[in-house]
Amino acid sequence: MAISAAGIIFSNLNNNTLSRLTRERTVAAIPFACRYRLIDFCLSNLVNANISKIHVVANYNYRSLVEHIGSGKDWDLARRKDGIKVISPFQTATSSSAKLFATHMEALKSMKQYINEFKEEHVVLMDSDFVLNIDISDVIREHEKTNANITIVTKLADKDYTSKHPRMFLSSVAGKVTDIAMSAVASTQTPELALNIFVMKTSYLRTLIDEAEAYGLNSFTEMMLKKYKHSNYRTYCYSGYAASVSSFLDYYRHSIELATNDKARESLLNEKSRPIFTRVHNSAPVVYTKTAKVENSLIADDCVIEGTVINSVLSRGVHVARGAVVKNSILFQHTRVEKNAELNCIVTDKKVTITEGVKLSGNQSMPFFIQKGRRV
Amino acid sequence: MYCKKECIAMLLAGGQGSRLYDLTKQTAKPAVSFGGKYKIIDFPLSNCINSGIDTVGVLTQYQPLALNEYIGNGATWDLDRSRGGLSVLPPYQGNGKSDWYKGTANAIYQNITFINQYKPEYVLILSGDHIYRMDYAKMLEKHKETGATCTIATISVPIEEASRFGICNTNDDDTIYEFEEKPKNPKNNQASMGIYIFNTKALIDYLVADEADENSSNDFGKNIIPNMLNSGEKLVAYRFDGYWKDVGTISSLWEANMDLIGDDPILNLRDCQFRVYSKNQARAPQFVGPEASMVNSMISEGCVINGTVVNSILSGGVIIEEGASVYDSVVMDDVIIRKGAAVYTSIIDSDSEILAGAVVGKDGADKSEITVIAKGSVVKPEEK
Repeated sequence: MAISAAGIIFSNLNNNTLSRLTRERTVAAIPFACRYRLIDFCLSNLVNANISKIHVVANYNYRSLVEHIGSGKDWDLARRKDGIKVISPFQTATSSSAKLFATHMEALKSMKQYINEFKEEHVVLMDSDFVLNIDISDVIREHEKTNANITIVTKLADKDYTSKHPRMFLSSVAGKVTDIAMSAVASTQTPELALNIFVMKTSYLRTLIDEAEAYGLNSFTEMMLKKYKHSNYRTYCYSGYAASVSSFLDYYRHSIELATNDKARESLLNEKSRPIFTRVHNSAPVVYTKTAKVENSLIADDCVIEGTVINSVLSRGVHVARGAVVKNSILFQHTRVEKNAELNCIVTDKKVTITEGVKLSGNQSMPFFIQKGRRV
Repeated sequence: MYCKKECIAMLLAGGQGSRLYDLTKQTAKPAVSFGGKYKIIDFPLSNCINSGIDTVGVLTQYQPLALNEYIGNGATWDLDRSRGGLSVLPPYQGNGKSDWYKGTANAIYQNITFINQYKPEYVLILSGDHIYRMDYAKMLEKHKETGATCTIATISVPIEEASRFGICNTNDDDTIYEFEEKPKNPKNNQASMGIYIFNTKALIDYLVADEADENSSNDFGKNIIPNMLNSGEKLVAYRFDGYWKDVGTISSLWEANMDLIGDDPILNLRDCQFRVYSKNQARAPQFVGPEASMVNSMISEGCVINGTVVNSILSGGVIIEEGASVYDSVVMDDVIIRKGAAVYTSIIDSDSEILAGAVVGKDGADKSEITVIAKGSVVKPEEK
């Protein structure tokens, strides 16, 4: 049976925790795994489940996001019927400033009119700061089978998981949520980390929004806390690779992990039935010259490699000149590493130039970030 | 209602390409892979859009399935337009007689109705067999300037190879006084690139007359061009001095691929101003493993490299396992080269698998001894 569902993606409610990367872009538009941006994983998960009605909630700094999405063509979302829509903050003639959404619930309230018109039976809410490749149609089937009010996708939490941004932790018995907490420590049982993919009936979402308005609540989590004890909230515990990108260090570690951990890479990027789609740039294949030496690295199109690259992730159009060495680093689009320069544990934003002979090193626990367009 | 266009392109993509043997057994020549992520037809179609030509008829005939799927609605080249855009033109069943395309001229003749819909002043005839980047707008400019009935793009070829081409013998002002198809004793080295711009009305008149001639082989080079010259029409050569290669043979296809690599490649596809577009396959970025070694090579998205790649071109999704090595070869989509296998001077068509320990091709072979592995083959190691 065909799935009847719409998707809502929150693009940037957590900007502050990734401030270095989000100075000039929203969270959803942060580059990840060399040729993607974070939102590509959300969009691809939905599209691969045949969900073609998708609303993306934008808040501020969303220019690069809008540019990335374009007409939605690259995800097959440029449709007559449905397709992709960006919900931007709305300024009326009578209010002097556009109101920004601070929480999920505020955003949902503001788009109530759209949600009221959804004909789809289910709705999938997602945050863009989680990276995974999951079969959403299976989550929806499970949701229907268990007659849940909300199904939350989770993964077993690492014992030592700490997060700068508040994350939701759940305890469950036979899949039914028995406790919700905002940190793993507070929870008594095996905690599951919510991957912030919520599946519910559209009618249930409407009820939640109405109740939130009635009680004056502005937080989706508060609504869940208020209701979970007498509702059927269930977890869908995902066993594949899932990364939570809640801090710059998270971002760095998970990026490098894709180059060094075969399982992570296979699960996220090489799932044959669920490709990850992204904006197409039509760049030429990678060129390796006679002096190139590369180990354990992910490399995007249009790169020219003349030097050495180890345990690194290179976005499109990066040039590593002869004699240059790049280790444990993440280089965004069009970074130029000139002759004999050396980088270790460095993240460069777009169009950074490392000039001849410059040596820079961060540490695996404290990688160093270089802003867009800088010349070192 | 059709929008009037100044110039439309007709791309002859129905050729069998029989000299590519196994590579074109199931695929039309224009759909053969080139340079990692491209197909041959990407070049003329990208040239069209980069030259401002947004209406292209693609004439297909031989094994069109892979080609049709690749072309789709032309979105890859921004040719999905509501006015103009790309149209696939296969042979069709008519009210009176129905026919396959008998020759290049007959193929265009059968689509005169398509041309007339757009009321173009000029028709650009292209073929899907060549690798080159060319601004057709400049050629059209010259065509208008000289007031020619037909302008033929030409390129200098080595005189010893000239007898393989259609040769244009020109006066000092580039007007053509004689066109010789594959002459035994060529008088000069200006070879026709198979690219023509015609004034529409003259083109149609000559096509109609040619169709009425039962002895004609309905070919541009053999019939239409000589007929025009005999009737005293003005034909002009447009000299092109960029990279151009006919990839009609195994060795020329291999050579053209090799032209993409080296410190200063003869054919450079990294030019943002004149991009060559190709259909995106939504593959993962390429991964290079701990034991990999890649030298002087061009490698596409989705490849997983754990072995050695030297002087080679790899298309999307190629897997090179530990200890496997590839030298001087062209490896097409989704080929798997298992542990310890070795590939020398070969073209391996898509979806093939070279099993562990197998050896393909000869080390140090030259371009006349290229080994071709057909699509979907499984190559086992030789038994001792």
